[in-house]
Amino acid sequence: MNKSKLIISSAYAAIITIIFVVIITIWAELSAPLKDWLKNFSGHHWTSKSIFSVLLYAVATVVLYLSPHTPDAGRLKKTLGLLLASTVLGTVILTLFFTGHHFQLF
Amino acid sequence: MDIVAILQSKPVLIGLHLGFAIIGIDAFLWLLGKLKGDGGSRKSMVITAAIGVGAFIASWLSGGYYYVVYYGTLVKPIIKSSVAPWVHNIIMETKEHIFLFVIPLAMTVFFITLLGKEDMERLKLRSLTVWLAGAIAVLGLLIGAMGFIISATARWGVIN
Repeated sequence: MNKSKLIISSAYAAIITIIFVVIITIWAELSAPLKDWLKNFSGHHWTSKSIFSVLLYAVATVVLYLSPHTPDAGRLKKTLGLLLASTVLGTVILTLFFTGHHFQLF
Repeated sequence: MDIVAILQSKPVLIGLHLGFAIIGIDAFLWLLGKLKGDGGSRKSMVITAAIGVGAFIASWLSGGYYYVVYYGTLVKPIIKSSVAPWVHNIIMETKEHIFLFVIPLAMTVFFITLLGKEDMERLKLRSLTVWLAGAIAVLGLLIGAMGFIISATARWGVIN
């Protein structure tokens, strides 16, 4: 097992998952048909988002791990830094979005 | 009352959700201490991270079940009709979605612990792993604080 490749694959997959959660959450709040589709998929919009985020993370990790790339130390550090930044940014964006949505700014 | 019915009851679900989250937060804080102090073997770091990942998954499942089955019908209406409906609209909505960041983050840190000290030093990942483990713990604590605000608001909503 190539551990460096597994780490960078997992980090990219986590970044993709965070971006997915932020986009699908905001999109579903602004689009009733999408939220209804998510509700109908599993019975609850949050359950659907949970299922899709887990599947996305798992599939993306496996696909990236099996893809032909060789991670170097610099790339690994950059990707983990990007994951840290994505986590902070994703948290801030969702907090600001729901605050703005509550005050009907959008 | 069988064991399944006990596990599905509201206070037990909330207790499991919070209890497992505390174990997850503590595990990643512990890992942070090991990484920062350069203490502990590779095996102990792998076990600590695995406990953290497992605990967060258990917290996610128990909290998710409570949220889907009980929150929407029993708690949300109380908060929405209370003096602080923003607690659902901002705090709960943010909490339930940022929780989805935790498992992919925790899994990534778990994979880093598989490297061992020498490889972690060679790849210069120790400092970043400290930050990532810290981010998981802070995210967990933030989610916990949000949960406290939500529970407190529901109690005030009932009283008011």
